[in-house]
Amino acid sequence: MSTVRFLKARDIAPWLEELSRDRTVLAPAQHGGTIVFCEFDPARGVELSQLSTTPAKRALLPPCETLFEYETTKTLEPPYKTHVELRPTLPQGKAVVFGARPCDARAMQIFDRVYNGEQVKDPYYTARRNNATIVTLACSEQDDTCFCDRVGGSPVDATGSDVLLTPLKAGYVAEALTPKGEELLQSTSFMKAEGLRQEALNARNRILEHVPERSSFLDMERNLLSLFGDLGFWDKTAEACLSCGACTYLCPTCYCFNITDETRGESGRRIRTWDNCMSSQFTLEGSGHNPRPTKAHRMRNRIGHKFSYYPQLHDKTLACVGCGRCVSNCPVSFDIRNAVACAIQQADAAREHAHD
Amino acid sequence: MPVLEGKELRIVGFLCNWCSYGGADTAGVGRFAQPTDLRVIKLPCTGRVNPLFVVRAFLNGADGVLVSGCHPGDCHYTAGNFYARRRLEVLRELLDVMGIQPERFHYTWVSASEGQKWKQVVSDFTARIHELGPATSFSSCAAVAVETGMKTAI
Amino acid sequence: MSQHTLELRKLIAEALPGLDVVLAWTSGFSPMTSTPLFIATDEDLDRLDFGPMHVQNLAAYLPSLKGRKVGIVTRGCDSRTIIELLQENLINRDEITIFGISCTGAINIRKVREAVGGEKLRSVETGKDIVSVTTDEGTHTVPLHNVLMDKCYSCQSQTPLIHDHMVTERTGCHLTGEAPESSLDRLDAMEPAARFAFWEESMDRCIRCYACRNACPLCVCKDSCVAQSRDPHWLDQSDTPREKLMFQAIHALHTAGRCTECGECERACPMGIPVLAMKQALNRRIKHLFDYQAGMDEESTPPLFMFRQQEEHIKERDAR
Repeated sequence: MSTVRFLKARDIAPWLEELSRDRTVLAPAQHGGTIVFCEFDPARGVELSQLSTTPAKRALLPPCETLFEYETTKTLEPPYKTHVELRPTLPQGKAVVFGARPCDARAMQIFDRVYNGEQVKDPYYTARRNNATIVTLACSEQDDTCFCDRVGGSPVDATGSDVLLTPLKAGYVAEALTPKGEELLQSTSFMKAEGLRQEALNARNRILEHVPERSSFLDMERNLLSLFGDLGFWDKTAEACLSCGACTYLCPTCYCFNITDETRGESGRRIRTWDNCMSSQFTLEGSGHNPRPTKAHRMRNRIGHKFSYYPQLHDKTLACVGCGRCVSNCPVSFDIRNAVACAIQQADAAREHAHD
Repeated sequence: MPVLEGKELRIVGFLCNWCSYGGADTAGVGRFAQPTDLRVIKLPCTGRVNPLFVVRAFLNGADGVLVSGCHPGDCHYTAGNFYARRRLEVLRELLDVMGIQPERFHYTWVSASEGQKWKQVVSDFTARIHELGPATSFSSCAAVAVETGMKTAI
Repeated sequence: MSQHTLELRKLIAEALPGLDVVLAWTSGFSPMTSTPLFIATDEDLDRLDFGPMHVQNLAAYLPSLKGRKVGIVTRGCDSRTIIELLQENLINRDEITIFGISCTGAINIRKVREAVGGEKLRSVETGKDIVSVTTDEGTHTVPLHNVLMDKCYSCQSQTPLIHDHMVTERTGCHLTGEAPESSLDRLDAMEPAARFAFWEESMDRCIRCYACRNACPLCVCKDSCVAQSRDPHWLDQSDTPREKLMFQAIHALHTAGRCTECGECERACPMGIPVLAMKQALNRRIKHLFDYQAGMDEESTPPLFMFRQQEEHIKERDAR
């Protein structure tokens, strides 16, 4: 039987401080008027009342990481040659992600299939993944932009978590789901709480009862593929989009990257940074040709990737966890739920029309 | 060349090729002694100075930035310094709102024959920067934003 | 539906057959949000709505629609953007049809959240001079004056300065007292070192999404922006406050003398960074130096596109 403990709300900060001594701790905190996932700072504390604006993905895929450093030197013999020294910079050390939501934790599984799959193992990602422990906080309720239930998740889903925290009374019931989780719960910040296992389960069931009955977005491949050639539909869908990157960088499942060499004089570093498929330059080729020149193309790709191409390659797993950050933070209030629902309608209408 | 520890501060100068660079040359020929903190970048005209050069210099660690060109009305390219005058006056406000002390940026007009004036400009400006001390730099903890989540090997 | 919205619909319905598209607003995913509406058919027109929650500056779409016959619903602040775009020949006057509407203020949803102490918003209703906010804890009544967008406090004109059609059913002033302290006021009161620390901290949470840039009606370089250019290499791609602050400086200087303070940059920022403050500071300086404000007069030239041999407010520089 997995370990069950209780963590009082007021013991969170001291526990995180204790953890910070030998590992990096990432937790949501108030930063200006916004809640962001960042390194735990005792002066700032943690903010768990609402979904953070930025997702927890930076623990595994930071916005910027150094792949290696390089230095060029001229050799004495022969004098016309330059010697390049490369210094790899693999991540080291352990990390704890505290206060991820079920959507954040599920999203990390989406990265695993890509970065830690059978054919390709990214050493930077796997180093971080193997050394990170995810402590997930179940949500007491859904926001009006949440739709985890429509993409195969739920506010209390434990997928991807090492420890699941269920809010109860003046604290949280903590349940270990993996050996990494067990190790964390040995801390003296937690109280014994075997008797609370059932209460926690009841609390989660009560939360689930409030999740509304609504249609799911699973199994969209056929619909979306049938709309691939209908650029008029995508034009209309994307007309208000500004092609910024807010949705991409706030999305817990977006994982595209760019690699650049940043040189200063004789030395520099090769860095990998988040990239954004909504930007017009994303697919710009060296020849000058751009296969996705318009917003319509890029919107088709974004929605297609999340709801069609990725599921086709990965056992029907959607590359969207329904966190709603893209919806609530978009400057023009673009609603991906609406777009997907319209796509279903449009595809159905097209099929009916074809049968006439 | 490395900055002499504790002795020199980093002062960048954008000089126009015709008047100010000539003026600096005149100062050199006349053997006028001046502090060596200033590192000159030669441009054809102050009209070529993108005010963002100044911002970039400050954000990269400059303690002071000086721009010098022909006197208004005497620009080698007729109107370059008229544009520069407008742009650099607007730039002063940007530096101020960003939190870069406005005294760290100075622009002036020095003609090719004004070697003595050039020596004075450099001496006075360098003294002013030394009085202000090194500029505020980005704190090391914010620089850690490069790698969040895990500490790197280096 | 309010009288002015009905009148607006009527005006647009009449003009629609002669236009390719009309830009307006409709409600977003909740009554507290709005989305730009691109009206091409009567069906689209049925979705039109207008109110204090409808905040996007629709003029931002005009440069990309150049060459087509476009109608646009315009408030006072939006009209300044249109005039600025005309000043710079980024749009053609004969291609746009302006439906003018006077505005009694646009609501800043962040300020609403602050006013109710961060409680979760359920709904927001606007009345005369007040806003009724229902949260999980109950209903609060907040004076409208306290939760307007920053730009509303320095509103130059509630009615558009330029229009082809005008909706008549609007009256009332939204400004009932002193403007609350703005970010620029707070920055003014700080020492330089504190200001620098403030920007360093703000840029720390910046995610470099370029929403500020893409929402800006004047940022027309979008695809060729120097922020992403490798040659010239203005910016590193690294995620540091240094590079991100440099980008803000680039954006502020590239819009100097052109920015009409529509506030979209700040509104679009998902991280709540007060990026408008830098542009407001430059506009203030330009007003002092050249007695000029962007977007007021179609015929005038932006001050940094020109020069005078004798500058009234620039003292001749001396050696000191």
